[in-house]
Amino acid sequence: MDKALNAGKDAPVTKIPAPKISFWKKVKKSKVLLLMCLPAVLFFFFFSYMPMPGIWVAFVKYNYRDGIFGSAFIGLRNFEFLATSGKLFDLTKNTVLYNLAFILLGNTLAVFVAILLNEMRGRLFKKISQTIMFLPYFISQVLIGILVFNLLNYDTGFVNGILSSMGLEKWQPYAEPGSWPPLLILIYLWQQTGYNSVVYFAAIMGIDSEMIEAAKVDGANGFQKIRYIILPNLKPTIVILLLFALGGIVKGNFGLFYNVVGTNPLLYSTTDIIETYVYRATMTDFNFSTASAVGLYQSIIGFIIVVTVNWIVRKVEPDYSLF
Amino acid sequence: MAKQDIDLIDSGAKVKLGKSDMAIRGFGYVFISFYALCCIIPFIIIISTSFTSEAVIRAEGVQIIPKAISLEAYAMVTKSGGIWKSYILTILITVFGTGIGLFIISMTGYALQRKDFPFRNAISFYIYFTSLFSAGLAPYYLLMTQTYKLKDSYLAVLLPLLMSPWLIILMKNFVKAIPHEITESGKIDGAGDIKIFTALILPMLKPALATIGLFLALGYWNEWYQSSLFLSSKVAVKPLQYTLYEIVNKTDALKNSVAGQFINLADIPQESVKMANAVLATGPIILLYPFVQKYFISGITVGAVKG
Amino acid sequence: MKKKLVALLLAATMVTGLVGCGNSSASSSTASNPSSSSSESAEESTKENTKESTEGETAAADIDTSEHVVITYMTTGEIPTGTKEKYDAMMVELNKILTEKVNAELQIYFIPWTDYLSNYNLTLASMDGTVDLVGTASDWLDAWPNAKNGAFLELSEDMLKTYAPQTWESVPASNWDLCKYNGEIYLMPEDNYAQWVNHGFIYRLDYAKEAGLEDGVHSWADLTEYFRYVKQAYPDIIPWDSDGTQYGQLASGYILSNTDYVSIDGLNSGAMWGGTKDDLYTIYSPYVTETDLLVEYAKMMKEWDQIGVWKTDVLNNTASTNRDDYRIGRVAAEQHHTQTWTDLVSHTPANTIYADTPDAASGFFYFGEERDNVVALSITHGAMAVSAGSNNPERALMVYDLLRNDPDCYKLLCYGIQGVSWDMDESGLRILPEGYNQDTDNINGTTNYWWGRNDNLEIRDATRNWSEIDKLYDHYDSVKIEYPYGQFVADVDMIQSQINNINEIHTNYMKQISFGKYKGTAEEIVAEYQAALEAAGINDVTAELQRQFDELYK
Repeated sequence: MDKALNAGKDAPVTKIPAPKISFWKKVKKSKVLLLMCLPAVLFFFFFSYMPMPGIWVAFVKYNYRDGIFGSAFIGLRNFEFLATSGKLFDLTKNTVLYNLAFILLGNTLAVFVAILLNEMRGRLFKKISQTIMFLPYFISQVLIGILVFNLLNYDTGFVNGILSSMGLEKWQPYAEPGSWPPLLILIYLWQQTGYNSVVYFAAIMGIDSEMIEAAKVDGANGFQKIRYIILPNLKPTIVILLLFALGGIVKGNFGLFYNVVGTNPLLYSTTDIIETYVYRATMTDFNFSTASAVGLYQSIIGFIIVVTVNWIVRKVEPDYSLF
Repeated sequence: MAKQDIDLIDSGAKVKLGKSDMAIRGFGYVFISFYALCCIIPFIIIISTSFTSEAVIRAEGVQIIPKAISLEAYAMVTKSGGIWKSYILTILITVFGTGIGLFIISMTGYALQRKDFPFRNAISFYIYFTSLFSAGLAPYYLLMTQTYKLKDSYLAVLLPLLMSPWLIILMKNFVKAIPHEITESGKIDGAGDIKIFTALILPMLKPALATIGLFLALGYWNEWYQSSLFLSSKVAVKPLQYTLYEIVNKTDALKNSVAGQFINLADIPQESVKMANAVLATGPIILLYPFVQKYFISGITVGAVKG
Repeated sequence: MKKKLVALLLAATMVTGLVGCGNSSASSSTASNPSSSSSESAEESTKENTKESTEGETAAADIDTSEHVVITYMTTGEIPTGTKEKYDAMMVELNKILTEKVNAELQIYFIPWTDYLSNYNLTLASMDGTVDLVGTASDWLDAWPNAKNGAFLELSEDMLKTYAPQTWESVPASNWDLCKYNGEIYLMPEDNYAQWVNHGFIYRLDYAKEAGLEDGVHSWADLTEYFRYVKQAYPDIIPWDSDGTQYGQLASGYILSNTDYVSIDGLNSGAMWGGTKDDLYTIYSPYVTETDLLVEYAKMMKEWDQIGVWKTDVLNNTASTNRDDYRIGRVAAEQHHTQTWTDLVSHTPANTIYADTPDAASGFFYFGEERDNVVALSITHGAMAVSAGSNNPERALMVYDLLRNDPDCYKLLCYGIQGVSWDMDESGLRILPEGYNQDTDNINGTTNYWWGRNDNLEIRDATRNWSEIDKLYDHYDSVKIEYPYGQFVADVDMIQSQINNINEIHTNYMKQISFGKYKGTAEEIVAEYQAALEAAGINDVTAELQRQFDELYK
C-alpha cells in the first residue's frame, strides 16, 4: 500500500545542480533533443509566428491596395464598437462562465467515464459503448441545432408532445432564457465527453500496472484503488488540460451557441457570448480589422489569466505547470 | 465517499472483486449503458430521417423509425459522383497527415519532458503561446496564398493540421508518465537520445500514440475550413466534409444573410439531405475507434521494459 | 515585325466578329480606339454607335490582343457539380467566341455561399490577379466599402470608351455618375434590367375572396383580416410559417405603407435612415420619430401572434421551408419581394397549387401600396467591377463588354447551349428542351450572372405569367420614383461603431416587436427601443449623415 500511495508523486529524480554554462554549450550538449524539436519549432514559426505581425491589421483602416502595413493607423477605433456597446462586460462574463462550466464539468465527467470504463470487463461491451459515445462528436453543430429544436419546440416538439399527452403544461424553453445555461451545458457534455474521456482513458492505461497489482496485494478495494492510485496518477493530466483550457476561456464556442440558440433575442440575456454578438453586429460591416481586434482582446485576457495561474501552479507544484 | 471507504475496509473487503468492485462495476454498466443510449438515439434519428422522403419529414418531422424507406437524399448527395473521389482524397490526406504529425508530435513531446533538456521551458512556451495569439484571418490567408503560394494546393489542408499546441502538450504529459529511470537506464547502456526514444520510449507510448493519432485523424477527417479558404473552384476534387458542406449549405447560409433579402433563392436544401450528409460524413471513420482501442492496453510495467 | 502582323490579323478577325454580331444586336458597336489621343477617342465614341468602317479597323488594330489571356470573373454561388458537364461544354463554346473576338478566355471563380463575405473579401484582398472581373452590389455585396479600400480599379472614361464601348454607350451619363466615388467610376451598373425587389406579401387570392376581400388584400388591415380567416377556415394550414428573419422587412413595410419615407441603401440592414418623398434631402430615422406608428405596429403584430399567423417558436424556426410550402399549398402567404411573386404567381410545374386547386390564384400586396410609395431599385444593385489586382484590366473590360452586349455570349453565359439547356418557342419565349434535366442541364441557375443582365438580350421564361407581371410592372413604373441617393456614398468611418450597435439594438427589439413576442405593453417596448437607439447614438449618426448630405446635395 505504501508504494501505491507514493506512486502518485513522481519518482524522486536526483537533481544534479546544473553548473552555470554558456548558452552555446547548452545548445551543443542538447543538440539531439533540439533537433527532435526542430520540426515542431519550424512548424509553429511558419504557420503561427509568421502571420503574427499581421495583427497590426487590428489597428489600421485596412486598405487592400496599400496592404496591412501600408494602411492608415487608426489606433483603437476597431475596438470601439465593442467597448461602447455597453455589453462588453456582460458578454465577457457569459463567455467566461459558460467556458468555466464546460471545462470543469466536462473534465469531471470525462474522468468519471474513463474510470468507469476502466473498471468494465467484457471487451465487446467496452468497445461498443466507447464507439457509441464518440458518435455525437460527428454530428455537426448545425444538425445539433435542428435536433434540439425538434426536441424542444413548443408546437411540435417531442418533449412537449409527451408533456401534453400526460396532461401537463407545455414547456416553452425558446421563450425562457433561464432554461438555456443548463441545456447548453448538457448539450456540450453530451457532444464532447466521448472525445474527452479518451485522453483520460489513455492516461489510465499508462499507469504502471505494478502499482495497481501492489495495491491489490495490499488489500485495497475498488474505491481505494481509484482514490489512491488512479486519481493521483491522472492529476497531472487533469491539471495540464485545465490550464490549457484556461487560455481559451474568453473565446466562445460560436458554433454551439449560434446553431442551438440562433438569433432569438428573447434568450440573449443568458446566451449571448462575445462571438455571437460580434457576428450579429458586424454582419453588414464586413471587416477583417474588427474581427482581429476582438480576437486580440480575447487573447490578451486569456494570456493574463493563463500566465497568472501558471505562475501560481509553478510555485505550488512545478511539474504540473504548462511552461 | 470517504466514510463509505472506511466502512468497506472494516467489513473486510477482499482482494478479488470485493463488494465495492461489484458496486462500481454494476453502477458502471448502468451509467455507461444509459449514456451510450443518449448518444445513439439521436444518431438513429438521423439515420432514419436520412432514409425518409422529404414530404414525410415536412408533414411529420424527424423520424425514429422510417415509415417507408426512401433513398432520395442519398441519390441527391451522390448523384454528381464526385463524392467517392472526395472519400479517397480525404483518406489519403488523413493517413499521411496523421502519420507525419504523430511522428513529429511524439518526438517533440519526448524532448520537451526531458528534465535534462535546458530549453524545454522556453520551447514549451514558444509552442503554447501560439494557442493564445493569432493574427486573425486576413494575415494568415495572405501569408498562405501570397508568400507560401499554397492556394489551390492540398498542402494548404495537410500542413496546418499536422500538429497543435494542445496535442504536443498532451503528448508531453503522456511521456511524462513513463518513469524517468527508463531514459536513465538507456543512457547508462550508452544509447543516444534518438535510440532511447525509438527503442525504449515509443513502445511504451502505445496508448498515447493511439489517442493522439485518433485526434489527428479526426481533425483531418472533419476538416472543411482550410478547404473552404484555400481550395477554389479550380480544384476539382475537394475533401469530403467540404464537399458535403457545399451540398447542404448552398442556400442555408444565404438564407440567413443579408443577401437573402434580395436574391431569388432556388430550392431550399432538404432536411433529409442534411441527415444523409451526417451519415456519409461519419462513414468509415467510426470504425477507426475500435481499431485504435486495441492499443489501449494496460499492463505496461517499468520492470518489463527494464528486463 | 512578325508579331505585329499577327496582331493585325487577329484584330481583323475580331472586327469581322464584331460586325457579325452587330447585325443581330440592337446596340451594336465599333471596335474602338485606344489611341493615346483621348480627345480623338472621345469624339469617336460620341458618333453613332452603328458605325462600322475602315476607321474601326485601324482603331481595333491598335489594341494589342496578341497575347492570349485568361480572364477570371468572380461571382457568389456554388461550384457546379451536377451541371458540371454542361457547364464545361458551355464554357468551351463561350471561350471559342471570346478567343476569336478578343483573344481571351473566361474562367468563373465561384465564392460558395458559406462564409461568402469572408472568402469574397479575402480574394479581393489578395490583389494578385486571382480575379479580374468582380461581381458586386452596393446594397448587399459591399461595393462601396470595396471601392474605398482599393479593391476596385478606377475606370477612366477613356478606358471604358476604348475597351467596353458598347457598355459605355448603353449606360447614360447620369447613370455613370451613380457609379462614381470621389469622381472616379468604379462600377459598371446593371441598369437595363427590369427587376423589382420591393417587398410585400404574396397571398392566396382565392382565400382572400372567400374571406370577403373581393379585390384582394390592399392594406395591413386587410392582411389581418385575411390571416384571421385563413386560420379559422383552414386549421391545417399555418397562415405564414415565418422563419423569424423578416422582422426588418415587416417593420419597414409598415412604415412605407403609412409614411412617405424613402430609405438610403446599404447603411445598415434595417435601412433606418432616409428622407421623405417631398423632402428627400432632410435625413431622419422614422424609427425615432414615428413613435405612434410603431406602437400601432407593435399592437398589430401582437394580434397576429395571437391569431397564430406563425409558429409559437417562430424566432428559432430556421428550418422553415415556407416558400416551397406555399407552392404546394401548405401555407397561405409568403413575405418576400416582387421577383419572388413573379415565380409564385406563375403556373410552373413546381407550383402545384394551381394544378391541385382550379381556382387558386396568388395576389401580391406590396409594402407602400396604400400610398404608392414605390422607389425603383438602385442601379448598382448588381454591377461589375474590375479588380485593382488584375493583370489584364483592358482585356477584362473587353470580355465584359461582350458578355453584356453580345447576344451569343450573353445567351451562352446566362442560359447555356441552346437545345441543351434551353430553347426558344415560336413566340420567342424561353422553354426547356426535350429531355431536359434540371439537375444536370441547368445553366441559368449556375453561372449567377447578376452583374450585367440586359433586357435587350433577355429571353423571357415561357412559364412565367407575363400578363400579370407586366401589369404590376407597368403600375410600378407609373407611380415609382427613381432611387434618389445613388450618388451618396456615406463615409462611415467615424460612425461605424455606432451603426453596428444600432444595428444590433434594432434587430433585437424588432424581432420581439415584429413577431409580437415582447413582454409588457406596446408603448413600453417601443419606448424602450427608442431609448436604446438614442443611447447608442442614433441622433449623432443622423446628424453626421445630414452633414455629408449637405456637402453633396447643397
